[in-house]
Amino acid sequence: MSDWIKRFLPFASLIALCVVIAALEPKFLSSGNLAGVARQTAVITIIAMGMTVVMVAGGIDLSVGSVMALAGVVGAFAMTNGAPVLEGIAAAVAAGAACGLANGVTIAALRIPPFIVTLGAMGVYRGVALLITDGKAVVGLPQSFGYLAEGNLFGLVPVPLLLVVLVALATHFLLSSTRAGRYCYAIGSNVEAARYAGVRVSRYQIMFYVFLGALAGLAGAIESARLVTGQPTAGEGYELRVIAAVVIGGGSLSGGQGSVVGTIIGSLIMGVLSNGANLLGISSFTQQIVIGAVIVLAVTFDEFQRRRLETAAG
Amino acid sequence: MSYEAPALEMRVITKSFAGNSVLAGVSLCVAAGEVHALVGENGAGKSTLMKVLAGVHQPDAGEILIEGRPVRFTRPADALAHGVAMIYQELSLAPHLTVAENIFLGREPLRFRALGVVDRREMNERARQLLSDYGFRLDPRARVGRLSAADRQLVEITRATVEARRCVVMDEPTSSLTAHEAEELFRLIRDLKRRGLAVIYISHRLEDLDAIADRITILRDGREVYEGAWGEISHGEIIRHMAGRELKEIFPPRAAFKGEALLRVENLTRAGKFEDITFDVRAGEVVGLAGLAGAGRTELVEAVFGAQPAEGGEVYLNGARLGAPSPGRAVRLGLGLLTEDRKRTGLCLNQALSKNLTLANVRVLVKGWRLRRGRERTAARDYIERLHIRPPDPEKTVGRLSGGNQQKVLLGRWLFADSRVFLLDEPTRGVDVAARAEIYRAVNKLAEGGAAVVMVSSDLPELLGMADRILIMRRGRLVAELDAKRTTQEEVLRHAALEEGEGAEKVMVDSYV
Repeated sequence: MSDWIKRFLPFASLIALCVVIAALEPKFLSSGNLAGVARQTAVITIIAMGMTVVMVAGGIDLSVGSVMALAGVVGAFAMTNGAPVLEGIAAAVAAGAACGLANGVTIAALRIPPFIVTLGAMGVYRGVALLITDGKAVVGLPQSFGYLAEGNLFGLVPVPLLLVVLVALATHFLLSSTRAGRYCYAIGSNVEAARYAGVRVSRYQIMFYVFLGALAGLAGAIESARLVTGQPTAGEGYELRVIAAVVIGGGSLSGGQGSVVGTIIGSLIMGVLSNGANLLGISSFTQQIVIGAVIVLAVTFDEFQRRRLETAAG
Repeated sequence: MSYEAPALEMRVITKSFAGNSVLAGVSLCVAAGEVHALVGENGAGKSTLMKVLAGVHQPDAGEILIEGRPVRFTRPADALAHGVAMIYQELSLAPHLTVAENIFLGREPLRFRALGVVDRREMNERARQLLSDYGFRLDPRARVGRLSAADRQLVEITRATVEARRCVVMDEPTSSLTAHEAEELFRLIRDLKRRGLAVIYISHRLEDLDAIADRITILRDGREVYEGAWGEISHGEIIRHMAGRELKEIFPPRAAFKGEALLRVENLTRAGKFEDITFDVRAGEVVGLAGLAGAGRTELVEAVFGAQPAEGGEVYLNGARLGAPSPGRAVRLGLGLLTEDRKRTGLCLNQALSKNLTLANVRVLVKGWRLRRGRERTAARDYIERLHIRPPDPEKTVGRLSGGNQQKVLLGRWLFADSRVFLLDEPTRGVDVAARAEIYRAVNKLAEGGAAVVMVSSDLPELLGMADRILIMRRGRLVAELDAKRTTQEEVLRHAALEEGEGAEKVMVDSYV
């Protein structure tokens, strides 16, 4: 019963939110506006897919905003140095994956708490991005690169939305239908139990951080395409929005819980909330208060659920 | 002659957990200035009785009287307020604080009362005085985290005696102390007696008790089976009372079959935990590992499995050396460990039953990249049926199952992993009678199928009923090997509890190999 509520609650909240906003401001439902919401939330949702995996495994990564900026800048440099667009995007993804590898190895092999490692990494990657660009935006990117953010497939489907769908399907498959996914939940639920069952915990933990890093890299490329420059200051504060999306969608900070569908809903709730607030002329200051409150509510709910289970397991 | 109320009295205390009766009407009466020994097998109810006294557990029935007045302890602070202090086996000190800070934790001498400023000099001085009174050579300003286990125990003892105005409970206090430190402790205990404190002393070491005990209470199966003056009962009689457990379960017979040695442990050593352990287990054989709490049995099987380090020695599986041990490697080579603590090292509590069951062998469910959920469900149903796991729902969150069913899921995990060598650490602890029977049946089936089983258990009837051979550990060493069919609970306990030469025949352990 309560499991069912837990699964359904975020979805119901999203629908309710849309209904209320549409009633107050019919423009909300226009295809232009909805496509806008999809574009705005794409970057957050893509990173949040990777964050879901890391958080289900009981980890966390605060450096994703910085990774995104660094990867965006690396991809931009590749293209300004003559690399074709696809190779530029690949460079961004690879740079992100390398950052994830560094995080994962430090966390898993050296057994340093992920919160601390990625808090430090957040500063390091941002610093590197600023250093190699001298703090200035990388300009002169090829026009066709913009298609990654602004293009429409068949003139209809926004390209970022398509990427979100592809990444979400891949992540869902990873979590629900592969060995790695099974270990991911087991490690997050009880890392000692996973170890005693013979799971090579470190290896999988590193893999999850690499996956998240690669997605942050892809997000960095999309963001660069949207801005048509490589911005070393891109993605500031995104880590909190990404973590919030996972948590609102039912992911647990203590691991072992979370799903792709939940995270997408969490990300949409935040996107719709801020879009609706803009349409209704609510200031961005108030928006921050509302979003903050929603996050605390979601975590409180999760915490009570967990305690109930623990009492039942008594 | 006036009647003087005892310092402490517990009257017909009963307590059960989840329907399992742990204390069935136990009474304990301790006079001021008396050292009262509390003995019993592991699981006899000593710790639970003391936790009731400490206010950690509430009794289902019965009462506690302090100097003749009934009291109710609903939390540990209540017991302390009445001057009843406890020294736990697991150390409960703050490692980052100093010796003096730990001793006076919660009762720091203050300089400006209202401001709560700790008078550090006064505190260190008083700590120094106490420690030197007790003959403990410890610096009050040393950080507790840097001390040896033995020194930490001394800090714990000092702290408890400061709190204890009426009664102090010591649970195996000498387990980490040297002979000399133990002597100091006994001196201190005699001193506490002179000051009129009641001391409850839990120990398996009867020779320790000889030095200090005035009276003894023996518990068995949550009942009090003997109470009397220390001098009136011999060690042999004490052991007989401890061991007199009835054989409640009927142990199913097993087809005798012995094949090759599947597991061989050679000179395995880890300083301070176990030393120079050599034994082997053949296909079709169940080997019992007996010993008191702290004898090193859990550390040994965890080291064989690779979950805890060993410093020397080798483990061979099927004749092949298990070099660079890790659980991952052990599992792939067909070793399975059912751990002692299923919540900490066994189950993923918030995951489904089926996922817990298949965790050690997800590999066989994968085809290409894809994990075949249907096959997993079929496998889970199969083991649910074989082990009678209730409720029979593969999707049930495992944390919501009863202890016995959780244990069956974990046993099923190693069955599903096709293990050949099973290390079972207290497989029936906290498990109801029905689930026990299922577990025994499953273990027999394993052995009949050619698996090698090592069974660590503190439940002697269980070991005698299930094992072919019983190995006995005492203080990290293998001290005896007995034929389970021809030995008695008393003989096992004698080897496990008594020092060499104290009526225990010397048994050559290595003669088997």
